[in-house]
Amino acid sequence: MIAAAWICLFAPLGAAIAITLLGQRLTRRGAGYLATTSVGMSFVAALVSFAGLLGDSPSQRYHPSTLWRWLTAGPYDFGMRITVDPLSVFMMLVVAGVGFLIVWYSIGYMDGDDEERRYFAYMALFVFSMLLLVQSGNLLLLLAGWGLVGLSSYLLIGFWHERPSAIAAAKKAFVMNAVGDATMALALFLLIQRTGSLDFEKVFPQAPAFGGWAANLIALGLLGGAVAKSAQLPLQTWLPDAMEGPTPVSALIHAATMVTAGVYLIVRTHTLFEAAPRVEELAAGLGAATLLLAGLIALVQTDIKRVIAYSTMSQIGYMFLGAGLGAYANGMFHLMTHAFFKALLFMAAGIVIHALAGEQDMRRMGGLRQFLPRTYWAFMVGALALAGVPPFAGFFSKDSILAAALAHGWYGQLLWVVGMVGTFLTGLYTFRMLFMAFWGEPSAFVREHFHALNRDVVGVSLAVPVGVLTVLAALGGWLQFADVWTPVSNWLEPVAPALVEASGLQEAASSAIAVVLGITGIGVAWWIYGARRAEAPRSLPLLEHKFYFDELYDALFYRPTVFLANALLKWVERPLVFGSVRELAGAIRELGLETRSIQTGLVRTYALAIAASVAVATLVFVVVR
Amino acid sequence: MHWLTTALILLPVGGALAIWILPLQPFAVGSTALLVALAEVGLWIDSVARFDFSKPGLQLDQRTSWFSDLHVSYHVGLYGFSLWLVGMTVVVMAAAIAYAFWAGRDRPRAYYGLMLLLTGALVGVFAAQDLLLFYVFWEAMLIPLYVLVGVWGGAGRLRATLVFVIYTMAGSLLMLASIIVLGISQGTFDLVGSGTNGSDWIFLGFVAAFAVKAPLFPLHAWLPEAYRESSPEVAAVLSGVVSKAAAYGFLRIAISKFPGPTSDFRIPILVLAGCGLIYGSLLAFRAPDVRGVIAYSSLAQLGLITFGLFAVNDLGLNGAVLQMVNHGLISATLFLLAGGIERRAATGELARLGGMARGRPALATVLMTTGIIALAVPGSTAFAGEFAILAGVFRTGWAWAVVGGIAIVLAAMYMLRLISAVLHVSPGPAVSDAALDLRPAELGFLVPLVACLLVLSAWPAAITDRSFGSSPSSAISGVLR
Amino acid sequence: MNGPDVVWYLCVAAFLFCTGALGVLIRRSPLIVLLSLEIMLNGSNLALIAFARHHGREDGQIFALAVMAVAASEVVVGLGLIVAMARRRLDLDVDKLRTLRG
Repeated sequence: MIAAAWICLFAPLGAAIAITLLGQRLTRRGAGYLATTSVGMSFVAALVSFAGLLGDSPSQRYHPSTLWRWLTAGPYDFGMRITVDPLSVFMMLVVAGVGFLIVWYSIGYMDGDDEERRYFAYMALFVFSMLLLVQSGNLLLLLAGWGLVGLSSYLLIGFWHERPSAIAAAKKAFVMNAVGDATMALALFLLIQRTGSLDFEKVFPQAPAFGGWAANLIALGLLGGAVAKSAQLPLQTWLPDAMEGPTPVSALIHAATMVTAGVYLIVRTHTLFEAAPRVEELAAGLGAATLLLAGLIALVQTDIKRVIAYSTMSQIGYMFLGAGLGAYANGMFHLMTHAFFKALLFMAAGIVIHALAGEQDMRRMGGLRQFLPRTYWAFMVGALALAGVPPFAGFFSKDSILAAALAHGWYGQLLWVVGMVGTFLTGLYTFRMLFMAFWGEPSAFVREHFHALNRDVVGVSLAVPVGVLTVLAALGGWLQFADVWTPVSNWLEPVAPALVEASGLQEAASSAIAVVLGITGIGVAWWIYGARRAEAPRSLPLLEHKFYFDELYDALFYRPTVFLANALLKWVERPLVFGSVRELAGAIRELGLETRSIQTGLVRTYALAIAASVAVATLVFVVVR
Repeated sequence: MHWLTTALILLPVGGALAIWILPLQPFAVGSTALLVALAEVGLWIDSVARFDFSKPGLQLDQRTSWFSDLHVSYHVGLYGFSLWLVGMTVVVMAAAIAYAFWAGRDRPRAYYGLMLLLTGALVGVFAAQDLLLFYVFWEAMLIPLYVLVGVWGGAGRLRATLVFVIYTMAGSLLMLASIIVLGISQGTFDLVGSGTNGSDWIFLGFVAAFAVKAPLFPLHAWLPEAYRESSPEVAAVLSGVVSKAAAYGFLRIAISKFPGPTSDFRIPILVLAGCGLIYGSLLAFRAPDVRGVIAYSSLAQLGLITFGLFAVNDLGLNGAVLQMVNHGLISATLFLLAGGIERRAATGELARLGGMARGRPALATVLMTTGIIALAVPGSTAFAGEFAILAGVFRTGWAWAVVGGIAIVLAAMYMLRLISAVLHVSPGPAVSDAALDLRPAELGFLVPLVACLLVLSAWPAAITDRSFGSSPSSAISGVLR
Repeated sequence: MNGPDVVWYLCVAAFLFCTGALGVLIRRSPLIVLLSLEIMLNGSNLALIAFARHHGREDGQIFALAVMAVAASEVVVGLGLIVAMARRRLDLDVDKLRTLRG
């Protein structure tokens, strides 16, 4: 079981290194197969670990394993340490499983690109990093995985590096993530000072003993990292720009796995958050605010990928809401179902984009239902799951979070209201997207540019993963149903016991209202975009500019930094570098000039000098004697 | 086997003499120098094999009396951390000599002789355990550098050399005064076991020399020009190794021997280091050329290393030693890459570069890997060093760690700017299709450096576990006194 | 030994020395400067011999002989310089001869 966990971690890394070193000797398709096989191996290994854990009794399901010492300093020892426990295995299965499907899909999607090998090396590197993050047994290695995931994201967003917009988006994503890394590092420093270690089993039990401000600062630092990685308020601006990357990248990194790392972090370190209840509530509040904000912005987006991106931001807001209120298992359950249906939506969108030779603007689409029937149905399943319509996956997971919010007291109930508004918006923007792209008459653009996909390897690799995900999105929700059938909660109980459980009545009421709101949203979307019975309202500039966050950050951080750097260059560096030496040389020259005036050239002056000195010397001699 | 350290110092010197005396062809001169450098690396590996890392004390040491009436002796030996610094030195020098061999230098006999002499002097600085001997090697470092920068440098080399030498000499003279006073007052010039001293003035004399060489803000006026005008491999040595000699001096002499003044002056020195860290990062972010970015990032990294050293605790010291080795390898690789880029594009200005990744996978991979490690992405060895340093300095005061956090973000900004300006978007005016990818010879000296960095990223404990015996703080208050 | 006390000899010697010194400092012609220099040397010679007489030893007289030899050599050099200057039609004025200034 432990060996399987290590294989799960290192298989993708091995593939990445092999692809890099083999270079041109490996065919492009071969690189794809290598990457896919390695991630498949990871998934199998994760299953083996899962089976191994099942054999243990619930209280014994915790197996740390250290391979070597990574960083040491006197009494401090941080090892290359993984842990096999319910939470990590849960994430391993999601990451490796969905990752396998998406990397396989990439073989078809990226077929023909000049730099396929680089792409697959980066994808394998990403899977390794994400697995490192979820498998790590101490917070330092978690931070290492955290950073490597951010790195892989930078590499993949900027994959088509000849596009300035892609490079700018990649840099933006990395720098915002770096801010999160910095706050997390500060939290870790405080933890080291308090507990002398970063291993989970040493740190978490001591959490209740931290003082008030220490616990708050630690939780706040961790929250900063989570917010940056998961693109929540206030560090959410990088995610929409990240859509510059290839669609499978958006599916894997910016929907299913990397952006959910923040949720994982909160659940994993929940004892630290519980010691700082205000911060935990802040997390929930930020999640609620984000889900509302993102839902509103999604309403006015015209790029199909951006709608799905904002939808991701919004859904992660739900997960933060759940985790922040202590409904850890519910948040993780939604993470899993979201991975299924969001990846599905991205991949289906990818097929649409591929078929239209790269076009992503929904205003130019229309009537694709006739050209891509299977894709349309896959997309429909995904959209229904996202909107939370039973019996699809999203219904079970999202509603369990909202029900738990109801049970949390006045604050939870406030957030419940926000969540409900979000449900309405979700139905609305999701089906706006579906109706705009698939319904109606085929637009002129579609008629001109559509080209069907062939049936060979490319077609298979595009179709089968989408098919699998469609099934998962449809049926995945059946893994947990309210209070009645809770294998997910039971599984995660030893690691992250829930703080709040909804009562049966709350569950039922919340679910009913949510479903009604979702279907209402779908109905409004149908009214405006499907049946074209009404004009869409004019969009607000506020929404079109994404609430002006980009402009705000530009003015608040980027420009002052540039200004400060230029000012330092002009007022400190130039004088220091050129000035100091010039001053020094000038001073010495002055001294020389002064001294030079003694050399008059007049013999008499010299004679006078000699005479005077002798006189003085004699006087001194006489006086001293 | 205690002649090993002396052999490490004298092998390159002997190589230099051989090159100057024997009538060799120009090609043979370069290959001889390269062989000597590689033999030096081999000798160092042998020392590692013979070294017992569990003991904190001086090993592989040798001592003979020199001026017996002044109690000056020829005393050389190595600690764990100095062994790693010597290793970094010989590896970087081998790579630099390989670069020069590949690039071709005129007047090769003079050039390679000076490079080998510099190697010997640098190893001597790290190995010397007698104050006067340390000073001799310190100055011996300067002479070859003066000629190397002044003769084989770029257009503004004369001014750069002059400023460099004047600044360094000023600091060294203050150090000489301190050495003499210290030696006379404690009766011996030996560093091992001679106890501590509480005088602030003597401490400041040493600090002045090391602060100029490192450099520490604001004594860095020599840095931009020296790094820009020297040839790439000399810049690599300056930035990678010579600055670490200063950091080593801080550790071995200033902190170990002057515990009282260290805690007295800790806050001002940390303030200067922090200023250098932020200042260097900001200026690297706006630097207009490749060398400028690397030069100012060097200033920032030395500020970070000083942070770690003057935290004077386990995490800080281990992190600082690890970061010394890291930064040596990183900046050497970056400067050698910069040299390769300048040869291909005839300029280092970022505005005229760009788009070099297309068709040049090796260059893109190596530059990307090194740049990403340089910005200390979590998971890399530079991150391990930085994390340990900031965790250590956090105990002195949380504000320092916050400064470090800001520097983390700035490092991401300037490094990514450099990478993208060179590799990404469309080819700049200076980049033509004739500019080829990295040749096998270039890979020959770049890949080992990058490989070292990658191995260290997987296993930083190779160095942190093996620098000070059991724990740095006990070594500082014990065997290093 | 009869004759005046050594003090009187010293007075004369001092008088000669000061006159010579004054001449060196004030006069502008190099020839006169050399002349004054000779007077200074003679003054010191007188002092030396007076002291030799006073102590009854001959060290002072030997020293005076050495001084005379030096004086002669230096006069040769000095006069040679002055003749060279005259040959070149240079102004024999010490104030005007200042090419060696800094």
